[in-house]
Amino acid sequence: MENEKKIRKENVKAAVFRFAPLGGLILLFGIFMALAVIKDINIPYSFKNIVNQSVVVVVAATGAVFIYTLGSFDISLGASLCVSALIGAMAYNATKSLPVMLLTCVGVAVLISLTSSVLASVFNLPVFVTTIAMLSLLSALALVLIGANGTGDVIQVPAAAVRGINNVWFKLIILAVYLGMCVFLFDFMKLGRREKFQGGNPVCAKLTGLNGKRLAIAAFAIAGVGVGLGAFLTITYAPTLSRNTASSVGMDIIISIVFGGMPVSGGARSKIYSAVIGALSMTMLNQIMLALSLDSGVGQIVKAIIFLLVVSISMSNSKGNILPR
Amino acid sequence: MKNGMKLTALLMALVMTLCACGTKGNESTASAAPGTSTEAPGKSTEAPATTAAEKTGPDDSKNVKIGVLVSDVTSAEALAFRAYYEEYIQKQYNVTFMYSDELADAAAEASAIDNFIANNCKAIISFASADRPAQIETCESNGVYYAVATGTLTDEQYETYKNYKYYVGAIGPDLMTEYMAGYDMAKYYLDQGFTKFGMFGGATPYYTEMHIYRAAGMLVAMCEAGKGTYLGASDMGGMIGAIYGAGCQLTPAKIGSVELCGYVGGYDFDDAWFGKLAAVANDPNVEVLLAVGSGQTAFAGFKQASQKLGDIDCYTADSVKLMESGTLNYLAGKFSASIGPIFMAVLSAVQGHPIRNAEGNAFAIGQGYWVATSAEEAKEYYAVDSSKTEPAYTRNMLDKLYNASYSDFEAFVKAYSFEEIKGLAK
Amino acid sequence: MTRTVEIKNMSKRFGPTVALDNVSFEAHGGEILGLIGENGSGKSTATSIFAGMQRCDSGEMLFEGKAWSPVSMTDALNKGVGMIVQESGTVAGISVAENIFLGETKDFRKGLFIDRKRMIEEAQKALDGIGADHIRADAVTGTLDFQDRKLTEIAKVMVKAPRVLVVDETTTALSQKGRDIIYTIMNRMKEEGKTVIFISHDLDEIMEKCDRLTVLRDGKIIRTFEKNEFDPDAIRTSMIGREIEGSYYRADYGEETGKEIVLRAEGLCLGDQLKDLSFELHAGEILGVGGLSHCGMHTLGKVLFGAEKAEKGSFTVKGKAVRNEAEAMRLGIGYVAKDRDTESLCTEASIKDNIAVAGLDRFAVKNFLILPGKEKQYVNEQVQALSIKCRNADQYVSALSGGNKQKVAFGKWTGRRSEILILDCPTRGVDIGVKQAMYRLMDRIRKEGRSVLLISEELAELIGMSDRLLIMKDGRLEKEFKRDPELTEADVIRCMI
Repeated sequence: MENEKKIRKENVKAAVFRFAPLGGLILLFGIFMALAVIKDINIPYSFKNIVNQSVVVVVAATGAVFIYTLGSFDISLGASLCVSALIGAMAYNATKSLPVMLLTCVGVAVLISLTSSVLASVFNLPVFVTTIAMLSLLSALALVLIGANGTGDVIQVPAAAVRGINNVWFKLIILAVYLGMCVFLFDFMKLGRREKFQGGNPVCAKLTGLNGKRLAIAAFAIAGVGVGLGAFLTITYAPTLSRNTASSVGMDIIISIVFGGMPVSGGARSKIYSAVIGALSMTMLNQIMLALSLDSGVGQIVKAIIFLLVVSISMSNSKGNILPR
Repeated sequence: MKNGMKLTALLMALVMTLCACGTKGNESTASAAPGTSTEAPGKSTEAPATTAAEKTGPDDSKNVKIGVLVSDVTSAEALAFRAYYEEYIQKQYNVTFMYSDELADAAAEASAIDNFIANNCKAIISFASADRPAQIETCESNGVYYAVATGTLTDEQYETYKNYKYYVGAIGPDLMTEYMAGYDMAKYYLDQGFTKFGMFGGATPYYTEMHIYRAAGMLVAMCEAGKGTYLGASDMGGMIGAIYGAGCQLTPAKIGSVELCGYVGGYDFDDAWFGKLAAVANDPNVEVLLAVGSGQTAFAGFKQASQKLGDIDCYTADSVKLMESGTLNYLAGKFSASIGPIFMAVLSAVQGHPIRNAEGNAFAIGQGYWVATSAEEAKEYYAVDSSKTEPAYTRNMLDKLYNASYSDFEAFVKAYSFEEIKGLAK
Repeated sequence: MTRTVEIKNMSKRFGPTVALDNVSFEAHGGEILGLIGENGSGKSTATSIFAGMQRCDSGEMLFEGKAWSPVSMTDALNKGVGMIVQESGTVAGISVAENIFLGETKDFRKGLFIDRKRMIEEAQKALDGIGADHIRADAVTGTLDFQDRKLTEIAKVMVKAPRVLVVDETTTALSQKGRDIIYTIMNRMKEEGKTVIFISHDLDEIMEKCDRLTVLRDGKIIRTFEKNEFDPDAIRTSMIGREIEGSYYRADYGEETGKEIVLRAEGLCLGDQLKDLSFELHAGEILGVGGLSHCGMHTLGKVLFGAEKAEKGSFTVKGKAVRNEAEAMRLGIGYVAKDRDTESLCTEASIKDNIAVAGLDRFAVKNFLILPGKEKQYVNEQVQALSIKCRNADQYVSALSGGNKQKVAFGKWTGRRSEILILDCPTRGVDIGVKQAMYRLMDRIRKEGRSVLLISEELAELIGMSDRLLIMKDGRLEKEFKRDPELTEADVIRCMI
């Protein structure tokens, strides 16, 4: 009887930890709403704002979850998004077609991702090593593209061309479709199970018939689609692209994924919703700090402390309840 | 247990940080990513008791929130501008400035503007130029006044937006002023007989117009003095075209009897970049080092005692020291209070008195630099420029611009030289 | 005899699991005390608490008559209590000498630097002192095999000359030479009036080496046997709380295996591990493969599963070549590796994740869609069939006892109904209850016409379970034995050495 009680208590504890990131997001939302009322913040505009500011990171990070699940990471995602957006903008300027721009963004991003993973496979290197090389390559490519095709320092898509799709509903639809696809792949297809297992123990995965290289290529391809969609959404929000476009996205993706409760080492505890929860939480936190008039330096410290807090909680959970043998 | 202690420690750190900021936020500066931060006024005793009923100046009865977009938050110039708004203007008027964080690209600008709007800012003063058309369009569609400080729109942009209701206008060095700033600085040394130059091109390789025009001014002055050409050009139009034609990558060259011995562009701030700067400064032939901006950062550490250094930047305690030590000999600097008139134009507009030009459109007024060629001049300029109680443009002076006619406003802005401003103050 | 170790009323919980429930026992100077019990019975928990690895929730400990509460294993070792654990306790990327003197390098400081030469000399002395002189102290630990890493760990403990030594299931992973080294150390300590606490699942071994034997079950002390009371059946009964029904190994002799050859290996060569190895595996056969630890039999298992490539020779399954693990699985091969936690399981994943991942193609709708209900059903069938003791299938494998972990590793392949199961040391570190369950499972597989390739270092189980037994020596096939009730371990050992 006592044991059953204990088991129930453990189950509740496990559930609390599992839903802690979501609880954190709800808490942040509550704080923001309270501040919005006190500080006379334009709430409808803030919601639109939160979608606009988080959607690119949510989409790109959701795809990146597949990479992080493998226990790997891609440092070049921000640069990839920048190059995809630049080439997508050039494609629009050449064809005046938004679908062509979308397909180009996605195609280029997938190609970049595949290049990283295939090169890693050919040279038998950890994928993150090739993504480091790719980061330099893509940064240089961005400069070349801007120099060759733009007005010198930027490549622009006419604002009027994307005004029609620069609205919250369009962005939410894109997010919903992509998120749905990722959830399906991650939770309802063999691929997701295999990715998680591969990330948890690559040696055992190999001895269970899983092909690590193929899984890496698939993960990078899916992440590439997310980056491509992120590039497209970046253009719709700010159609003037420069060498600095998406410069912070790479880091935002990492922070969001971890903030959303994803274990840094990937594996079976990986969650596809981490990116959504993490990115929304980060944006919400930014809005709260803005409403609280926090100095940006102090804001960064607050974020850093919360980040450590989240990682500590998730790690203390994963280390608990383990018998010595 | 150990985990519990760690978590408690982290939580305590968080609470302490938040407490510390709470106090700070109430006292003075603030800013937050990816956008913005508010500045709590704290001026209940200091704000003049002007009310709407008096109608003699701005209405101080209701706080006005103004967003400030800044792409560069750490340069001396940006800090000086911010100090003027936060430490003088904000204490004089019932306004609250919300500052953006550093804005790396157009998307960051858009986010910052969205943050300002969500926080009910009534106007935005922009020091960021990644995508000005997008900034103006967003402000127009949301009924928020928008003004450009220390810069201008291109002619094409101005034609597009001049009749937008919420576009207030722009005050700052126009491109011709930038060109002349570079030309005058180079000519200052050429007139003294110097012929061997080293140059720092700042953001020229990034196609930044302001720096391209300054560089073009310097090169045309060299062409005239040396009776030669650079990239086949010798006049303003030709030189600018030639620089763009070269992909904004300049190289050392002989210009008739004058020589550009060394050139460095960009802001890489890595060892290679500093190495190139040192190489230019260590060239025994180079007599004068010229910089389109940030010359003190780029060259001051490497410059030889016999070399001259000219820079286009702003007035800071460091630049005055450099002038005193003879390290810096020529400084064309923006003065921090130069952003006072655009603030008043914005406040006037928010309070229902927009200042429009003779055609009823938004204004575009050029404003130049204070040029110091001696330590005494620099000291005098800096004393005024850094004053928190009697800056170049005081409240008394700015109040005259409230609901002013365009001609009065323009005349006031155009009288920007140090001596002229002294006259205005009297 | 003096009481050196006293544990009084010790209790310990891990979440809802009671690991120790009011446990009290003692050990004396000049004796070897055996601790025995099923996986999860609490023997490792109790000794690891005494050795400073973790703390108890309540209870009292005395060491040489004084209150004892070490803050860490290092603290305990420095004060005279050392422990050699079952899993690897060395750091791979540093030298053997650095492992032996880990955290003690200050003793070798020479100004700002470490006197590496002296440290290596001292480490070599420590290795020589335990009889492991074949290990070079300057070698990188990661290049050593499991046994030599374990011997390094033993040297690390013995260099501190502990007065109490806990040997926790170390011997099962070692070859005879490794075991002999440990036995020598244990006997020497006993002669010197020191105390040894010896934990092992090998009943014969523990009865031979120990002076007294304490049995634990479900976190409680069940009984302590004096030497003159040692009786295998009584001890087994104490361990599992009931009498073992039926025979431990297969009882049948003379049964025919199937005629069909399901796996044929011809001239397999791989370095010094496999040398011109040829054999056949028939349907419904348990083919045992034995030998000394380094004879190549473990490599053979990996090669047959496609995880390592033979340099020469070939093998086919039902006439088809196997190039990689995925192909092996498609052809119906399953493989339980020797190193359970590293190769057979993902310990930071749930039971469900581990079992399901090998059988995705068995329950996925249209071979791609995973429906949670079908997955749960598939996994629960294995959990029930193998009697895996767990809260539910979502429990993490890391929280299971060794025997239950091994059952999960089995479940990966039994769920797929693998036609050929390659089992590499499948009963290593599991208690007799689990062992018996596994032997029954193998027998059932055989009777169903499927095949088992049983690689093992335990001769008794090879002899007891195999239809045929292949003995390997230095990568070669030394001899083949047919199933025979007269076959003894001595017959087999003669071929191995």
